Amino acid sequence: MQRNGQAVNERLRKESQLSQIMARLKKNKAALFGLCLIVALLLVAVLSPWISPYDYTKMDIQNMYAKPSAEHIFGCDELGRDIFSRILYGSRASLSLGMIASVAGTLVGIVIGSIVGYYGGWVETLVMRLLDIIQAIPGMLLAIAISAALGPGFTNTILALSIGGIPMTVRLLRGSILSIRKQEYIEAAEKINCSKFRIITTHILPNSIAPLIVSVTMGIGNTILSAAALSYIGLGVQPPTPEWGAMLSAGKSVITKYPHLCIFPGLAIMVVVLSFNMLGDGLRDAMDPKLKN
Amino acid sequence: MSRFIIKRLLWTIPVMLGIAILIFSIMYVCPGDPAASLLGNGATQVELQAKREEMGLNDPYLIRLGRYLKQVFIDFDLGDSYMYGTPVIDGLLARMKYTLIIAFTCMGLQILVGTPLGIIAATHRNGLADRFCMFIALLGVSIPAFWLALMMVVAFAVNLNWLPAYGVGGIEFYIMPCLANCFAGIATQARQTRSSMLEVIRSDYVVTAQAKGLSKNEVLLKHALPNALIPIITIVGNGMGMMLGGTVVIENVFSIPGVGNYMMSAIGSRDYPIVMGGVLILGLLFSLIMLLVDIVYAFIDPRIKAQYEGQQRRKKHAA
Amino acid sequence: MSKENKAFLSIKNLTIEYTSDGDVIHAVNDVSLELEKGKTLGLVGETGAGKTTIAKSILKILPEPPARITSGEIWFDGKELLNAHHDEMRHIRGKRIAMIFQDPMTALNPIMRVGKQIAEVIELHENVSRAKAEENAKKMLEMVGIPAARYREYPHQFSGGMKQRVVIAIALACSPDLLLADEPTTALDVTIQAQVLDMINDLKAKYNTSMIMITHDLGVVAEVCDNVAVVYAGEIVEYGTREQIFHSPSFPYTKGLFGSLPGLKSDVKRLSPIEGLPPDPSNLPKGCAFNPRCPHATDACRQGRIGLIDIGAGHLCRCCQIDSTQKEG
Repeated sequence: MQRNGQAVNERLRKESQLSQIMARLKKNKAALFGLCLIVALLLVAVLSPWISPYDYTKMDIQNMYAKPSAEHIFGCDELGRDIFSRILYGSRASLSLGMIASVAGTLVGIVIGSIVGYYGGWVETLVMRLLDIIQAIPGMLLAIAISAALGPGFTNTILALSIGGIPMTVRLLRGSILSIRKQEYIEAAEKINCSKFRIITTHILPNSIAPLIVSVTMGIGNTILSAAALSYIGLGVQPPTPEWGAMLSAGKSVITKYPHLCIFPGLAIMVVVLSFNMLGDGLRDAMDPKLKN
Repeated sequence: MSRFIIKRLLWTIPVMLGIAILIFSIMYVCPGDPAASLLGNGATQVELQAKREEMGLNDPYLIRLGRYLKQVFIDFDLGDSYMYGTPVIDGLLARMKYTLIIAFTCMGLQILVGTPLGIIAATHRNGLADRFCMFIALLGVSIPAFWLALMMVVAFAVNLNWLPAYGVGGIEFYIMPCLANCFAGIATQARQTRSSMLEVIRSDYVVTAQAKGLSKNEVLLKHALPNALIPIITIVGNGMGMMLGGTVVIENVFSIPGVGNYMMSAIGSRDYPIVMGGVLILGLLFSLIMLLVDIVYAFIDPRIKAQYEGQQRRKKHAA
Repeated sequence: MSKENKAFLSIKNLTIEYTSDGDVIHAVNDVSLELEKGKTLGLVGETGAGKTTIAKSILKILPEPPARITSGEIWFDGKELLNAHHDEMRHIRGKRIAMIFQDPMTALNPIMRVGKQIAEVIELHENVSRAKAEENAKKMLEMVGIPAARYREYPHQFSGGMKQRVVIAIALACSPDLLLADEPTTALDVTIQAQVLDMINDLKAKYNTSMIMITHDLGVVAEVCDNVAVVYAGEIVEYGTREQIFHSPSFPYTKGLFGSLPGLKSDVKRLSPIEGLPPDPSNLPKGCAFNPRCPHATDACRQGRIGLIDIGAGHLCRCCQIDSTQKEG
């Protein structure tokens, strides 16, 4: 076994780590499928004004609760609006919420994590204890409380959702700082008077980037789920902005008679989250090849 | 070991204090006036002002915070509901039953179903069973629980008429809420179990166990699984947090009069003592479960136990 | 090969491949070996030459996949192992063939008591009660120089050398007929190394155990081995008695190994290392695997497979330039 490891490393050392990861990712069909779906969904979100068959605000009393048909393939909602068009538009809210909140939470987490790693000592103790407190509140509950306090709306929802992601990133980063700090090359860097800032930015962050990318990708899926749940219970993004969770909430009261109002927005959420999770799984396997085979 | 447990128990006090300050501050910045929602639309400015004064809402932030902390941590009183005038703790305890039934059932299902699925997937790696389990698990972490709940209502309550669509009562009322809420937990558990089993299976001591002549199952159950459990337990703890948060939404779908619904309606009516009390109680519950997780760790992994005990020893030396 | 099954252990034409990311890695190529009862065979070669893979294949504990035994036979005491049934193998593993693993830091289960890990193998193979197994395990601990009082401790409370002793105690607990020792001393301090080797030698003499000693340390070979097989890129390139190999190393790589050793008596200014790196096992050079690094390589070395040649009294060498290299050596 060892021989393989060594000889293969020898051969691959020439290639950069990134290209290795990409090469492994290319072999993972599920991950590629997820990536393609994400790209397609992003295109849909950008192009929704041009590709939707109807104006998402256009009401049509004649077609209230219309069942799926050739004309309205996903049917119409309680105001006779075309559900397919609203789902296409809704991808804007869900994707941007998920991506912005997840990336923002991670970035703040990186800053805090780096500060914690930089100063150590009582700063570290204080910050970690504060995170303990935040994490002692179940995530969904915290998001509900914050978005209740901030009031509904797009920006506020992003705030409410990104705060929950911070502690995990800080812990992840601190974990790798703790394990890397003991390595001899860090000691060597310290001995040649490398500043702590430099050590963190040139040695520690690049080494933690792989798990961070995986956690962001997985985080987007989870954030989209939470965002949908928030708007479902009446917080978060509000009507008339087309948002999948809010559409589900509106359809709930008539679900016994007109289930199509709920089926399609939920499927849309599932597809988006599924594709981010597939990509995330693939990235994790590609970055940690010893878990494969 | 017992000293470690006591130390961890004591640590929950500052955590609870922190949660109280945090949730009080969040509620403080909440828009809306509890006095207004209490008196209704007909109230005059004078009446509102008098009511605010009476409720202590006009005092500065720090005084109100101090008053709340004293009330909770010294008088052990979560206060009275603005709306009902009854003690918050009574309201919470009366509803706690439903939330706990759902949360603990889900936790049990997560452990009892998720773990075996993960083991099966890991031992049949890349085989049909693995692919099937992992596909289901991937769906599980990608489906919104409340949507799954709605779809179950359509299928089992409306179309098949097998189960009640909402409310509480006998066991049949809990089947759909629990299933919808625990699917994600089972899926997470299966995924984590699989990956930590795979990591453990390739470790040297598993090869050692094989070389001793143990059967495949003995190697898995006696050597691989106990080691794989260490990261799995963390997931169980986190899963409990997920379940507790998830029940808030699930209770909404099935109109279950649990803590979650109580809190949600309190948010709507600006009945902040209920919201704060609910967060504190659920936070305490979650903290205690995490403490339990830490203790279980020590039982499984002697290295962690040594670490805990080492802390005490160092303390003794210092003293 | 007329002696057929007379040898206690005989490996015939063993070939093992690993598949990794679509590449096929030729880890063991057509290896044949024999070992008599009570004797010790040294497998010498660089890290990753395929020595451990050979040993693990005898116990059938290679991870399959990615490993795959493509051909060969392994005869142990008149029984073919590669086609043996699972249950049969389970009774052989730990009882008749035991292995000492290379890295003591990871070879023990971190969350099981040390004594229990020894008792486990005894309980499994000797028909004894739990209490008796514990008693025997304590005896084993004492035998490898660890106080029986530490029976209930965990691996993390032991030093590296002590862990290696525990690994050895596990391997010897059922007094196996064949011991596969995979670099049992590499992870240890020099002083501990000598103790461990002495211990293995004593125990081997006591139970008349046959042994395969895997090492890259020629000093260890000199101390414990009767016969030596030099492994290079998954092939046996030279085989002979310890005296044959030490007094007249013939394959250029073997010579290189001795050339890269500092001698106490000879006062050379510079050591002569072997130039170059081991070949990429997924893309072995044509002909002799050593030819890119060999100072004597000719065109003949770059074509076709080269067979083992008997260069006198069972001393085998896989070199087609044997005459020219011999002259120089």
